[in-house]
Amino acid sequence: MPKKTKIEVNLTRRDVLTVAAAAVGSAVVAPLLTTGPLSPFGALKQGQLSASTEPEHENISRTHHWIMVIDLDKCIGCEYCLRSCCAVNDVAEDKPWNIVVEERTSAGTTFYFSRPCLHCQDAPCVEVCPVKATYVREDGLVMMDYDRCIGCRYCEIACPYDARKFNWEKRNDENPYVPTWGIPEVERRPRGVVEKCTFCVHRIDQGIRLGLEPGVDLDATPACVNICPVGARSFGDVLNPDSQVSQLIANNPTIRLRDELGTESSVYYLPPKEGL
Amino acid sequence: MTSIAFDRKSFSSNPGLLAWFGFIGILLVIGVLSAIIVFSRGLIVTNMTDVVPWGLWITIDLSSIALGAGAFTLSAIVYIFGLKQFQPIVRLAVFIGFIGYTAALLTLILDIGRPDRFWHPWVYWNVHSVLWEITWCITIYLTILLAEFLPVITETKFFDRWPWVRKVAHRIHDFAPALAVAGLGISLLHQSSLGATYGIVKSRPIWFKPSMPIMFILSAIATGPALAVAVAIIVEWITGKKVAEFKVLQMIARSSGLALLAYGYIKLWDLAATTYYGQTPNVDQALHLLRLQTPYNFSFWVIEIILGIFLPAILFLVPRYNKKPLNLVIGAGFAVLGVIVNRWNVTVSGLFVPLSYSPGTLYQLEPGRYFPSLVEWGIALGIIGYALLMLTLGVRYLPIFAKGE
Repeated sequence: MPKKTKIEVNLTRRDVLTVAAAAVGSAVVAPLLTTGPLSPFGALKQGQLSASTEPEHENISRTHHWIMVIDLDKCIGCEYCLRSCCAVNDVAEDKPWNIVVEERTSAGTTFYFSRPCLHCQDAPCVEVCPVKATYVREDGLVMMDYDRCIGCRYCEIACPYDARKFNWEKRNDENPYVPTWGIPEVERRPRGVVEKCTFCVHRIDQGIRLGLEPGVDLDATPACVNICPVGARSFGDVLNPDSQVSQLIANNPTIRLRDELGTESSVYYLPPKEGL
Repeated sequence: MTSIAFDRKSFSSNPGLLAWFGFIGILLVIGVLSAIIVFSRGLIVTNMTDVVPWGLWITIDLSSIALGAGAFTLSAIVYIFGLKQFQPIVRLAVFIGFIGYTAALLTLILDIGRPDRFWHPWVYWNVHSVLWEITWCITIYLTILLAEFLPVITETKFFDRWPWVRKVAHRIHDFAPALAVAGLGISLLHQSSLGATYGIVKSRPIWFKPSMPIMFILSAIATGPALAVAVAIIVEWITGKKVAEFKVLQMIARSSGLALLAYGYIKLWDLAATTYYGQTPNVDQALHLLRLQTPYNFSFWVIEIILGIFLPAILFLVPRYNKKPLNLVIGAGFAVLGVIVNRWNVTVSGLFVPLSYSPGTLYQLEPGRYFPSLVEWGIALGIIGYALLMLTLGVRYLPIFAKGE
């Protein structure tokens, strides 16, 4: 004999009102959380749905966004950019900020690939820094505050491009690239902090103060761009549609390194004509 | 009776204890000398490089924090869930937690490039950084641990002179449940965030997965209390004084065994999802490289899974084995070993696999080779010495034993 189960339902008016209030409340809160201005997903959706190549961060009113374009067909692998960078920024010889390596397309053709810091707009290094010693500046540069860095090296681990180097000791090395390739324009970094390519920010800032245009006037342009004997590197303001870099991006196919990570890097590569 | 006799014994009358302090002294001297070398010459004396910027010391940080998890787990069980029979071991667990967290902070001070700026995370906030969150949580949690432990410290004879300190400390003890709730929340946060430290790094496919924080916190919940059990048993062997009834220790070991099984379950599913079912090319390549060039396969399967999870789970759960205190100590030892090797594997193996960002097919970075230098091992010995010293002093001078013993 199966037992007869008696189900008692005791609902007071208070219970009914509570449930109703909860339902109405959820109905109001849910859309606010998913689509409203409070939503943590709002920014994400907009960012992912926008089809434009230039990420617009609505909360930053920009006047400039400095970018670099590197033509992989033009580069001859002479390493002048590397040497000039090491001299001007007084970088240790064995830890260049700017690397040049030989590469091959999938068809087997040799080309040369160089890489400064890519100055990502959604930079993984910036996100992980526990003290905001590294940050994205309004003009797109990823800055390093050597006075604030605690040397935890998490940014080095998070950077997808191996662009960051740590000062493991107090440097006493002689810079072999000085003075042939340039004169140091910035101080050496102290022991215990992380450093990386700055897009020669000191030149950009000083140049703008003097009314120069970075990318056009040599004094306001990164050393690696100036010294390139074949003009493989261009620098300029992508927000100015008439700048050389804007024109290059508009009229050529471009790639950015590991774009699938969503880093929105500021260095565009013009791939070899035959493809990669 | 025996306990009183023990308390009255002086250092010199006990050659065994003297030798033990001598051993700890040697460890501490090695540690201090290594620290002087690190502070004067910089991190160049380590074998860490720009390719492998984290190494043995991070492993020590992660392990000692994970092994300190007994404090929040048992506090929560006693003060939040009201299982009062576990009360006797809470003091010891909180003390071990305190040792673990201070050991981690000591190592961190050495590990950062600018120890003079250790306070920066408290002043310059980057709320988006898990490391920032961890720094804050660890600081707050250390304060909670101190508050939880203050009453125990003030019970010593030393504080007979200042009864008001004791009164204040006991007033704090009234807030034990609130402290336990705060400790639970903060611990759940940072114990998992330590895993997230790796789990959110999207450029490294072998790390980038949501299971990372879960595996970290599960392993901490499993091994932290087990370590407290083992320490309680060993202390009883040496001093003859009971921290808690064996029945209580056995129950904690059993729940540790269950937590270990849960950890193993997540770990195996994680492996299946990322390799066998997922077949993500990047992960496959990374694991392939690790298997070819490092003892990763052995350390993962034999040490982490078999010795670190299944052996202790069997010793903790099977009634035939968990009746013997020795088995619980052995089980806890292997569980601890498993966690330490896991933290090492996560850190170093992830960094061993080179980044790949070049657009072409030729350029590959070298795999990041790393083995700690002598100075790094020296610091590790010093930290172990610190932990043993604290534990010994605590066992000798602090009232961490069951009442009426």
